[in-house]
Amino acid sequence: MDVDTRNMTPTNLIDKIVVPGDVVLDLTKMENQTIKLGSGLRQDCDCISVLQAGKLRLSKPNKYWVESSQKRYVPSLEDTVLGIVVEHRSDNFLVDIKAPNLAFLPVLAFEGGTRRNIPKFETGTLIYARVVKANGIMNPELSCTDASGKAAEFGQLKNGYMFETSTGLARMLLSSPTCPVLEALGKKISFETAVGFNGRVWVNASSPDDVILVSNAIMRSEFLSGTQQRIMAEKLLQRLEKV
Amino acid sequence: MHVRREVIHIHLPRRSTSKCDMVGMVIERDSVGEEGDDVVTPGEFLGEATEFVAGKGAYVSPNGRSVRACLTGRRKVTAAPPGSHDNRSTIEIVGHKAHGAVPQPGSIVIARVTKVMARNASADIMCVDSKAVKEKFSGIIRQQDVRATEIDKVDMYQSFRPGDIVRALVLSLGDARAYYLSTAKNELGVVSAQSISGGTMVPISWTEMQCPLTGQIEQRKVAKVD
Repeated sequence: MDVDTRNMTPTNLIDKIVVPGDVVLDLTKMENQTIKLGSGLRQDCDCISVLQAGKLRLSKPNKYWVESSQKRYVPSLEDTVLGIVVEHRSDNFLVDIKAPNLAFLPVLAFEGGTRRNIPKFETGTLIYARVVKANGIMNPELSCTDASGKAAEFGQLKNGYMFETSTGLARMLLSSPTCPVLEALGKKISFETAVGFNGRVWVNASSPDDVILVSNAIMRSEFLSGTQQRIMAEKLLQRLEKV
Repeated sequence: MHVRREVIHIHLPRRSTSKCDMVGMVIERDSVGEEGDDVVTPGEFLGEATEFVAGKGAYVSPNGRSVRACLTGRRKVTAAPPGSHDNRSTIEIVGHKAHGAVPQPGSIVIARVTKVMARNASADIMCVDSKAVKEKFSGIIRQQDVRATEIDKVDMYQSFRPGDIVRALVLSLGDARAYYLSTAKNELGVVSAQSISGGTMVPISWTEMQCPLTGQIEQRKVAKVD
């Protein structure tokens, strides 16, 4: 296989857009090093090639991965997701999380959950949960408790408005420090949000006007830089004051 | 030698030019003998139930009086074993090549894993006792039948993956959907598997296999092959 000469040094493609088939690292040039590969990269005998289009990232000293944004979600461990209940079986709920398979949420995976107080979720209930088992073959498993067994904001989300976004926007909203659009909106409006790694966002505020404004601002902010997001949020908030 | 005659009536359509519209065929058949040259078909009368025991490929008709064939093949009569209190001969049907192997409880099968779930894995049975099957048989390996020790701590994902070839033992005919298989012995389990990178893996212990292309180690329930 021909290796493009520009890929000889490992650092050339960091933070650049890569497409499937690009050779990112040549392992014969790097000896006695341990490299960690994240999602989107694959070892092909002696070289590391790209599986998914996106931006190549490096976390020092040796972790490489490809950051991409798409509408469908691939479940991975310890992600917090928003799911919609599809069915109630005897020992778990079937929940849709925009993944290739439906996820199982055991009926006992709640704080203080016993056979006597199983929550009554109807079809269509919105749930905020955590992924506890995710491999590519079996249905993923969710839980509405954190690792220590406490409820910790997991569970049913009542009222509010839920909309779907890409996974990239969801990760941006969850990044720290706080995403600029959320910060700008939070100065004038009081609202609460729940963001799922699977590309679902839930917004709740005291009045429907606020909910609509926050949702529109979030949806528009995907491809804007930090400053542009603040300007966009300010413009929307001014419109609210005029009315 | 007792010869039984069967008379079969064949009706010709009314439009035939011949005056007679009924033709009788007489078939002579030996009902006692060695492997006859005559071929029997399902439903055909083989003998009286008072004189014969229905063996493999034969059954006793619902009225309890005659033994009939249920397979296509040649009739074979074996005399009753001496010392048994029933001195009827056994009639069997042999020589039917149309059927491939069928899994029986206690036979070793080679199967390909199709689906892995939390409590069981389903597999397509391909060979029974080193003979290939001619039709599709489904098998299920339950969590408690994967290995002999610590059966409640078995992780199905670390034992099988879809596409693995496993050697298993048939436990029972199971339910209507699938046979129950077991890999709970040293020589049972994954015989051949492909890694994520596509190379055929080499077993390195009874729980691990290694890919020759990338060196990655994956967990399986490996069979001890001599």
